[in-house]
Amino acid sequence: MTGNVAVLKFPGTNCDEETLRALRRHGLNARIVWHRDFVWREYDAIVIPGGFSYGDHLRAGVIAARTRAVEQVVEAALNEVPVLGICNGFQVLVEAGLLPGALIQNEHGRFTCKWVRTRVRNPKGPWLLLVSDKMVLDMPVAHAEGRYIIDEQEYVKLVGENPPLILYEDGWNPNGSMYSIAGVASGNGAILGLMPHPERAVEPELTPRGFNPGGKLIFESIYFALRNGW
Amino acid sequence: MVKMPLSVEEIDEIRDILKREPTREELVMFEAHWSEHCSYKSSRRLLRLLPNKGNHVVLGPGRDAPAVEVFPGILAVFKIESHNHPSAVDPYNGAATGIGGIIRDILTLGAKPIALLDLLYMGNPFNPHAKWLIRNIVKGISDYGNRVGVPVVAGDTWFDESFNKQPLVNVACLGIVEKNKAVLSKPRPGDLVVIIGNSTGRDGLLGSSFASAPLKDNMVEDIGAVQIGDALMEKMLIDVVNEVVEKKLVDYIKDLGGGGLTTAISEAAGDYDLGVEIYLDRLHLRMDLEPYEILASESQERMLLAVPRENFNELIGILEKYEVPYSVIGFFNDSGFIRVYYKGRIIAEVPSKAMARPRALVRKSKPPEDVLKGLTPLQGIPEPDLEDAIIRIFSSPNIVSRRWIYEQYDHEVGGRTVVKPGIGDAAVLKINDDKGIAVKGDGNPRYTWLNPFNGAANVVSECYRNLVSVGSTPLAIVDELNAGNPEKPEHYWFFENMLKGLAWISDELGLPVVGGKVSFYNEDSSGNQVKPTLTIVGIGRVENVRKAKTMEFKEPGSYIVVIGETLPEIGGSEYLYRVHGLEVGEIPVPRPRLEYMHGSTVRMLINEDAVSSVHDVSIGGLVTSMLEMAVASGLGAEVELSLVPSRGIDRLDYLLFSETQARYIVEVPLNKVEKARRILDEMNVVYGVVGRVSSRSQVDLLVNGKRILELDIGVLREIYADSLEKYLERG
Repeated sequence: MTGNVAVLKFPGTNCDEETLRALRRHGLNARIVWHRDFVWREYDAIVIPGGFSYGDHLRAGVIAARTRAVEQVVEAALNEVPVLGICNGFQVLVEAGLLPGALIQNEHGRFTCKWVRTRVRNPKGPWLLLVSDKMVLDMPVAHAEGRYIIDEQEYVKLVGENPPLILYEDGWNPNGSMYSIAGVASGNGAILGLMPHPERAVEPELTPRGFNPGGKLIFESIYFALRNGW
Repeated sequence: MVKMPLSVEEIDEIRDILKREPTREELVMFEAHWSEHCSYKSSRRLLRLLPNKGNHVVLGPGRDAPAVEVFPGILAVFKIESHNHPSAVDPYNGAATGIGGIIRDILTLGAKPIALLDLLYMGNPFNPHAKWLIRNIVKGISDYGNRVGVPVVAGDTWFDESFNKQPLVNVACLGIVEKNKAVLSKPRPGDLVVIIGNSTGRDGLLGSSFASAPLKDNMVEDIGAVQIGDALMEKMLIDVVNEVVEKKLVDYIKDLGGGGLTTAISEAAGDYDLGVEIYLDRLHLRMDLEPYEILASESQERMLLAVPRENFNELIGILEKYEVPYSVIGFFNDSGFIRVYYKGRIIAEVPSKAMARPRALVRKSKPPEDVLKGLTPLQGIPEPDLEDAIIRIFSSPNIVSRRWIYEQYDHEVGGRTVVKPGIGDAAVLKINDDKGIAVKGDGNPRYTWLNPFNGAANVVSECYRNLVSVGSTPLAIVDELNAGNPEKPEHYWFFENMLKGLAWISDELGLPVVGGKVSFYNEDSSGNQVKPTLTIVGIGRVENVRKAKTMEFKEPGSYIVVIGETLPEIGGSEYLYRVHGLEVGEIPVPRPRLEYMHGSTVRMLINEDAVSSVHDVSIGGLVTSMLEMAVASGLGAEVELSLVPSRGIDRLDYLLFSETQARYIVEVPLNKVEKARRILDEMNVVYGVVGRVSSRSQVDLLVNGKRILELDIGVLREIYADSLEKYLERG
């Protein structure tokens, strides 16, 4: 086991166990940490898993983003600790201002759960270290508020920083996200947020026919990055 | 004061038990707990007919949920429940709280909920009121199920005019727990009564009594009886119970469901000959309530824990960590009496046994005139244009893909869903790297309405086939009997015969009925019952999840094999309904011996890797199942209909659409033909190699080498995949 990874749990978080399983399966020394007990210095990487933190009251992620735990995550991020936000975790990172844009209700207004095809642009940083440019990663989405929006000015700024982006392939955008954005990272890729669930796309028997287990490389990347640097 | 639907005889009986006049609070307690919904007073005598024993049955009916040892040391805890009445009045909250309640039932044995199912029998999707109900029921399940992080993985959906105003909303939950950690013990004298979760309010006041009477015409009056759910609190209860069970801190857990606090305390004490002292004013409340309201409230997300005093501090630590409200409202003793105090004065004193077990009622049963519909001889059914008939059936709301529904559910949370909705006959959930559990729910209102005995048997048979198709060994079932008014002999007859059919077939198939529920009074304000409907949820053991089978064709060139004979059985079929507008006739005969034989054969084919896809034949008949296999894969097929094993059939429409039981379609890869033949011959089953999978995207049907139909997969796929969304989102 290498690398201490915190899987941060809030009231309403519900993907913590499978995220833990995916990390451990890839050799990482991960554990689930209740938000009140979280001290960022104890960890080499942080994952905020999916779910409905605080019941998504007000709007998704907004309450968790104002907790002491997320203040700690911000501090960790400033200190180059890799941070991954999956689904609700992505919403939290956006609400906390660690990633640009916003996530609003899906275009068709309904929750949607299905496998999608994404393509990674400009991979770098600890979470996408082993992913090559334009690689296709298949993963399932499961959300009601996953439509990524960003105003033009912010988008120009974002693109200017040349960060890694995870984009829905043509015909696979499940929610009407602008620029087909499924996931977005900080300039150096240390902070990554994405709506699809990499932890559900790791085991072959959980991957439907015709899709690849696209989450695997993300967990292999962080293992490799924590071991060998990035 | 709430209305008091206790009968005069019941009030006399209460006087007999107490040997005095009951207090107001005592009357409310009897009313809540003796309601049909909680007490099974109209059904208990017959429920004894159901076989519930088996080698792997650890806990049968009686507790909040049964338990089956699915693998050595691992228990599957599963249960079904109806939320029909609340969902008719307030579909969103009614369906959502159904999910909440069934999850808590699973928690009471300390199990971790890993899957949910919804069995929905709804109105015509083109009827505006029915459409409103359907959309909100699905949304209620979606919002609640997704938030608590338990995947909705399977179910059953049916559309029928009789459910336009009164849908049947049955939900089921499956949980797992290590046998040595399961909470199978009982409360002990001295244990504290700790209520955790939501504060108690006025919502759902006497909700079980409301569910134990016909709906009124003006349903708005009943809105106060519908509970409101709080999924975040439910999720916290799941986390708390998980930790409490891990640390073995409690003797016993009970849900505060139908009948609220009253039912919880009277069953917790009465089932074990204990007594309990309750101090009502110590319970955490949302608002000022009268004592009788506290006793009868059905506020959601509340549970009762029986906690040994020495574990109390550790329990409080966990509750405070998760910020779950709680109150200690009393303790168990061996007095045999429920004594309820409020602000220092005693307000109820009732023998707990008498409370927990009201006298069973004998209900009269009489076949209604309707029964003749199921005996109508089918004569002079015109032969339709086959292509037109196929399209009509394939676009039927009862047949098309449920994608619009299951995509609204997070069916993958938990990371266990190996066979996902839409591609297999049942869901398969992995419980570790190799092993899994298959689960499926079924019902067929048309069958149970035309012939409740055979219909019930066919519903169980279908569930059995579905579990077999994915590669599991069926282990046990739970049932929900949705029936009309038990006080009306013509309604009760359906209940009685569904139950007898269920008892017969489950015994024949060796499938114990380990638990179940009854929902009566599913009738409208003018006294018409909905189609009486038995629903079944079954579980099966999957030894190796990598071998689990889905239905879509896998490879061009492989052979298509039909197992089982087709008989001219189109009574009550989707074909008769959809193409000829008829809901009459003798429904297919149940064939338990063949179900068992064909099921064993299919399992053997799967275990020996001789088949790559499996799909059972059910409503819509052979051609529908075949097209489903094609559409799910995008691959076509060439099928010679003269090779389909049949008896007594002289018409193509009967061959294609008959709903004869005990049939499967399997795909055999080219290099497995010998092996498959050997197994099929050894098992001595009737089968036919009827065609091959093709890479062309069309299904060709031939008769004696002559092509009679070419069906385009692209067109069929659009119909199949998108129709439900069209019906429900537009127009």
